Amino acid sequence: MKAIISDELKLRLRYQARAVGIVGALAMIASIFLTWAYGHEALDDMAYPGAPSPLQLFFGLLALLVLALLAIPLVGKPKLGRWARIVAWNTTAKTAALAALGMAVVAVAGIAIELGGLINVDPGGWVALAGGLVSVASTLFLPDSPEPSLERVKSPKWLQISVIGVAMALVLFGAAFALGLSDAGSFLTFAAFLVGLVMVLRQFGAFDWLSIAGANNNRVLVLSAFAVAFVFPFTQDGSDANMSIAAQVLIFAATALGLNIVVGLVGLLDLGYIAFLGAGAFTAAVLSESAFSRIDFHPPFIVTVLISGTVASVLGLLIGAPTLRVSGDYLAIVTLAFGEIFRITMNNLDGSDGPNITNGSAGIPGIPDLDLFGFNFGDPHIILGIDIGRFANYYWLMLLVMGLIIVVFTNLNHSRIGRGWVAIREDELAAEAMGVNTFALKLLAFSGGAFLAGVAGAVKAHHDVSVTPEQYVFLESAFLLAAVVLGGMGTVAGVLIGATILKLLPEKLRFFSDYRLLMFGLLMVFMMRFRPEGIVADERRQLEFHAEDEELADEVEEELITHHAHLNPDRKAFEL
Amino acid sequence: MNKRTFKLAGVAILASTLALAGCGARTDAGTGGATGTKVAKIGVIAPLSGDLSAMGLGIKNSVDLAIKQANASNAIPGWKLELAAEDDQATPDVGKNAATKLASDDAVVGIVGTLNSGVAQSTIPVLDAAKIVQVSPANTNPSLTKGADYLTAPKRSNANYFRTCTTDDVQGPFAAQYLLGTGVKKVATIHDKTPYGQGLVTEFAKAFTAGGGTVVGAETINPDDDNFSAVVSKVKAVAPEAIYYGGVYSEAGPLSKQAKAAGLKVPLMGGDGIYDGNFMKLGGTDGDLATSVGAPVETLASAKAFLDGYKAGGYTDGYSAYGAYAYDAANSIIAALKTSLASAADAKSARAGTITAMSSVAFEGATGKVAFDQYGDSVSRVLTVYKVSGGAWKAEKTGELK
Amino acid sequence: MDLFFQQLINGLSLGSLYALIAVGYTVVYGIVQLINFAHGEIFMIGAFGSFATWTVMGSPTDWPATGSLLILLPVMILGGMAASISVALLTERFAYRPLRNAPRLAPLISAIGVSVFLQEFVRLFYGRIPGLPDAKSSIPFPAINGITGEIIQIGGVTIQMSAVFTVGALAVSTAFLWFFVNRTRTGRAMIATSQDPDTARLMGINVDRVIMAAFAVGAALAAIAGVAHGLTNGNIGFRMGFLAGLKAFTAAVLGGIGNINGAVVGGLVLGVAEAMATSFIPGQLGSSAWKDVWAFVLLILVLVFRPQGLLGAKVVDRA
Repeated sequence: MKAIISDELKLRLRYQARAVGIVGALAMIASIFLTWAYGHEALDDMAYPGAPSPLQLFFGLLALLVLALLAIPLVGKPKLGRWARIVAWNTTAKTAALAALGMAVVAVAGIAIELGGLINVDPGGWVALAGGLVSVASTLFLPDSPEPSLERVKSPKWLQISVIGVAMALVLFGAAFALGLSDAGSFLTFAAFLVGLVMVLRQFGAFDWLSIAGANNNRVLVLSAFAVAFVFPFTQDGSDANMSIAAQVLIFAATALGLNIVVGLVGLLDLGYIAFLGAGAFTAAVLSESAFSRIDFHPPFIVTVLISGTVASVLGLLIGAPTLRVSGDYLAIVTLAFGEIFRITMNNLDGSDGPNITNGSAGIPGIPDLDLFGFNFGDPHIILGIDIGRFANYYWLMLLVMGLIIVVFTNLNHSRIGRGWVAIREDELAAEAMGVNTFALKLLAFSGGAFLAGVAGAVKAHHDVSVTPEQYVFLESAFLLAAVVLGGMGTVAGVLIGATILKLLPEKLRFFSDYRLLMFGLLMVFMMRFRPEGIVADERRQLEFHAEDEELADEVEEELITHHAHLNPDRKAFEL
Repeated sequence: MNKRTFKLAGVAILASTLALAGCGARTDAGTGGATGTKVAKIGVIAPLSGDLSAMGLGIKNSVDLAIKQANASNAIPGWKLELAAEDDQATPDVGKNAATKLASDDAVVGIVGTLNSGVAQSTIPVLDAAKIVQVSPANTNPSLTKGADYLTAPKRSNANYFRTCTTDDVQGPFAAQYLLGTGVKKVATIHDKTPYGQGLVTEFAKAFTAGGGTVVGAETINPDDDNFSAVVSKVKAVAPEAIYYGGVYSEAGPLSKQAKAAGLKVPLMGGDGIYDGNFMKLGGTDGDLATSVGAPVETLASAKAFLDGYKAGGYTDGYSAYGAYAYDAANSIIAALKTSLASAADAKSARAGTITAMSSVAFEGATGKVAFDQYGDSVSRVLTVYKVSGGAWKAEKTGELK
Repeated sequence: MDLFFQQLINGLSLGSLYALIAVGYTVVYGIVQLINFAHGEIFMIGAFGSFATWTVMGSPTDWPATGSLLILLPVMILGGMAASISVALLTERFAYRPLRNAPRLAPLISAIGVSVFLQEFVRLFYGRIPGLPDAKSSIPFPAINGITGEIIQIGGVTIQMSAVFTVGALAVSTAFLWFFVNRTRTGRAMIATSQDPDTARLMGINVDRVIMAAFAVGAALAAIAGVAHGLTNGNIGFRMGFLAGLKAFTAAVLGGIGNINGAVVGGLVLGVAEAMATSFIPGQLGSSAWKDVWAFVLLILVLVFRPQGLLGAKVVDRA
């Protein structure tokens, strides 16, 4: 865009552009009081004049942002004071206008598709679209603003904590709202809103500020995140439909976090990781009280979990010991072969090709619900007057398991072991030369990761009720890997986001399911090519993928120093 | 322009937005629609995407046909039936989500599905907890109805589960009796390690040896395999007079072709999983045999109604292997709904009643007589042996398993 | 004893198939140290390409044996090669080349994406090309007079002509490959690049071209394997590349990755081992349901006791 519109032109037209942009924003705000769709069936019913639907209100919010970002600078630089520099007004306004336009486009397309033709889009939809176009076009003529520097603003602790709290509450609200949207068009429109909002906030500098605030109040951040996740089932009004998805997302995310140790921290590509989840699930199933279990030993679940984890990690040792000595490429294929060995073996332990342990491809169904300390996970409960169903119970249990895995992950990451792992990932020979016991550390990561997957598998067996070999095919390993790659190797937040996207989108966009794997394959290729560090980038990792980028290197260096200064105000910034 | 004006303008815009947002009322008198008819939904859980989608779509369309016919004939006065189809992608996890989604829809009173026994294991408990009847057109795993020890101590596992397809202990013995009747005494068995294939072969072998024949070889293949030369050589070495294969046409066709290419020129026999036009395309040759449930479609008036209706329905996908069973499954639910919905205030309260009413359902369906025994299995024991001749399936012998 | 020779024949036929695919892994690995995970899919594309060629020729089924063997089959193979080589070069260009200097994980992950994408692409879109059948389930491969259904009977051992074709194709391909690598400019440039890419570049070798040649050679052999697979098994399907690719990689490691002769030997050894395992391992573990497991166990054993493979890797890990 910079090339198309010269800086002089921008400078000359800046007042006119601002005025036109404000008109566009006002048009968008006005549009939400008009009807967008001819029929009531489209999206979340946009056929009431004067009474915007929730999605229309969200659109209005974006439009208000455009308006505010364009209008506030009109008070003049002296009045704005340092805020004139802290916020990138023009650029953020451009982003907000783009976000609004994007949402309008998705909404209008959704209406047209769901009602069968553009003819069903009412004037309101067109006004929104036109307003978006006008504001985007006009903001292109605004001079670029300097980078925002919101994170340099000193803020009191109470403000930081309360903003974190509000942000978490908003996340909860957004998640509950998104899950409640059953129709694909509404879901996509809301997703467009969310993506737009995130872009605007990023441009605003909100995330930089939040990450500093988060680093300063780490405990508050983690606790409030868990509190929000804990409260989530209460927003579902006793419905199990979304809780079963949510519990699955958590199981998937916990497994992906385990894989993240192996892939993200140590850089070992494990393509058979699902086998460790399967090993845990099958162990738990065989040791459960299911009528199909062929072993007459049914310890309490606490013991079962430990056995499941141990079985998985022993398998990890068995497969890791021979292969971790050779190059990493081999490991990828050997683990893939191991995944196949596991699946075929589970299929064969059916009495005709081996001892009957797993019932072959029929698997082990009828696994009873967990019963911990007299609390049966299958029973619905009423807490605070709200029904809590079966899946919510498992959701909470998985939340605990997840917490455990996150604690292990972060502590390891910042320990001597973690630094050893990263050293191996970056340059194994150099690490070895520096006295890092690479083989032992790799083996530890491999079997440790397997242990975590085994634990998750034990819960999964009870949650799923039945365990069959076909649940543990290669594609599932590929999905786990994709969650790690998509979210960001080596980060916790990234993997959580990646896992949520990969599990949630297919559930919400079922009309798309035949093309799911096609898109998945493309996504992997494009991620590797254009953003190999994932959505949430681990800084060291990002540098590794963009080694030639000097600017980024300086930035990371600087950030590491400032981060360090924030974390340890007393200590001098370390030298790099 | 001063700060004050701006503040005022901002407040004014915000206030007017909020006011406008508050004033409109989101009620509409026009859309109430016809009152008086209540809606009950019959769900479908089947693979509607992926490599098994042909069979899944056949199931969905056949249920759709049954529902349309019931609505047209006003089968349940005062109620309108609707279809609620969910994709399970042939995976248990997705199937379970589909089941929870349907269970939380209060209008759903019954479900036809699933295609895969493995998926059924995950959906049955969810639906049982919600007291929703599930009728499968395709699950053949005996333990789904008779529990873990189905051979020694059959015990009904879930009261809400029924099926219209026959289980392996009917088809296997029927095939054994047929082969013995044609003078075959030495048979090699092969199965694909699925519950379906393994069950068929187990039951077949039992009946075949009991009838005086010998099973000279027992082999297995992996369903994702396509080169069977090693197995074929092994089987050829024991010189059987026929091969009994437990599995579906996608492997049976190539297996038959590769066996004949390797010089093992004996007929291959299988269950309804290979009774499909694609079997011949993939290598099934003249002389190969299959059993299928019910009398041949041409001789059954009730089956004609299904075939004609399906043709008239304008569905783009064929009804496929399990369409007729799915049609019968939907009609059995509709028959039960006639009793349970008659006195019900809403669909949800009729759920438990529908399960009870299922046991007394009996009618002539597209696959023959439809009724359920105390375990929820189909009582139909009429089967037909089909033989490939001239590249097409021809009915060979129809009979009832004694 | 008949059974032994029968399984030996089966194993050699299967092993030749693995060897034809394994060459593709080994050539590419030797030059760019990349495990082209999507190579199994290139094999699948080759089979589908030859099927499409057959359709374009009017789906002939009644050609006499000589015509079939001298014209129909070679044209089908060439068609398959055209398809597999173009797809291989496209993936190299768009999925691997941009990642050449990225950490080693990146191209491998990209390759998994390519593999899934190609499978799905064939499944969803092959049937949408006018005249071609739907690829959502297996497609029967055309019968070639002179090969399909023809057998040579020696005592109790049946040798199918399709097996003869597969073994013969391997022999001819290996001879051509030897000539190509040792006697042509491009071939010698490949050797030079595999030994030291930087020096090769300084000597005026166009490394990009060499890498493309490696992908093309691998894809060409994979297409021959695709046709052989279709003739032996009678059908092709979009999923046929996954397991075959994995086995072929095992064969490449078995022989010593980066070593072309190793790939051929590794393929044959693996094929024979797999066929023998189904007949001569006693008890339940001898069931053919375990044969894939034995193949992979062999892979792990090789890595433990002889990571450089049977014939020794030409390019030892330089990372």
